[in-house]
Amino acid sequence: MTDVKPTMTDSDVMDFVAQGYVLLEGIIGEDFNRQCDTLPPGNANAFITSDAFIEEVLLHSELAGVARSLLGENFRLPNGGHHHFYEAPHFGQTWHSDGLSGSGYDVTNLQCYYFPHAVEIEDGPTMILPGSHCRAVDREAIAHYGDVLGQVSLTVPAGSVALTRYGIWHKAGPKTNNKKRSMIKFSYYRTSPPVRDWKIDATEMPAYQNRARLPYVTEVESYRDRVRRERTWDWLCGANT
Amino acid sequence: MKDAVERWIDTQKKKLQKAPVTSEDLDALRDCLQEPRQQVLYLYSKSTNMRSPIASWSLCDPTKPQEPTLPSQERPYASVLEAMADGWRVVQFPISKLYRYEEVDNDYLGYEFVLEKWI
Repeated sequence: MTDVKPTMTDSDVMDFVAQGYVLLEGIIGEDFNRQCDTLPPGNANAFITSDAFIEEVLLHSELAGVARSLLGENFRLPNGGHHHFYEAPHFGQTWHSDGLSGSGYDVTNLQCYYFPHAVEIEDGPTMILPGSHCRAVDREAIAHYGDVLGQVSLTVPAGSVALTRYGIWHKAGPKTNNKKRSMIKFSYYRTSPPVRDWKIDATEMPAYQNRARLPYVTEVESYRDRVRRERTWDWLCGANT
Repeated sequence: MKDAVERWIDTQKKKLQKAPVTSEDLDALRDCLQEPRQQVLYLYSKSTNMRSPIASWSLCDPTKPQEPTLPSQERPYASVLEAMADGWRVVQFPISKLYRYEEVDNDYLGYEFVLEKWI
């Protein structure tokens, strides 16, 4: 992946550290979006590792540029993924993070959500909770959580991709219509130690400039968030590895 | 239930002076005869103080059709106290000792109040 150019600046990376995601709207071409129309639900390993998907999506300069910025040189492409497909109305999922993710301050992979169709609020968009990516969570113990101040419904144009720190809380939102809604999920992986080698203006590592408190965050939690962000920033810059 | 039936009778008495009792009126009477049902409202406050702003919320209402509803960023109440002023009764207060964290790691959003209404 040495020919992939990083696209993020120090400020962009600091935003990611606070929010836990980057959203690229409408970057994938409509011709390829329509090639996803016949993809069956479920395992999408063959599709995601196909030459066309690699060329049109995984190595798209904007998408791969974010992966390169946050995962460093020689980041690894996805070796598979999943097609989340909904058509009938449903209540949506409950808030969760995937796997055993959530704690720690490293960024070793980016889980991506690719939407080949435009997604409206009635379509049951994927929802994410910005800033939740460092909170370890027992998904069954928070299954009664409902709306959260500051939650984001990814209502996006066709061809959009969200890249998230693996631990971010997310869910399929409630769906009230019968329109087909697709989301193709895959992950990029880090293979090299973190270094501040994204787009930089000066070689000296700047201190983390804190971002605004997120709407749902309590007073004391905002102080903890600041520490978590500083640690993630330091880790990404290779300052404590 | 008794209050609801009495209200129904008062309404029908007035109405009968102009129009007969209808099938819809009797359906309304049947609704009045239902056993009270519990609504539950979870409110996640930004502190254990009932005047603190709300960070998250969830309503479980068995009296309404169970169907998907769109997400919202409109808080149902600004605080637990405001919900109480609207007739909600607190059935569970947050217990501070349950909101533990280790160093800077935690796994909760806010302080959970559980409230109920019987309708």
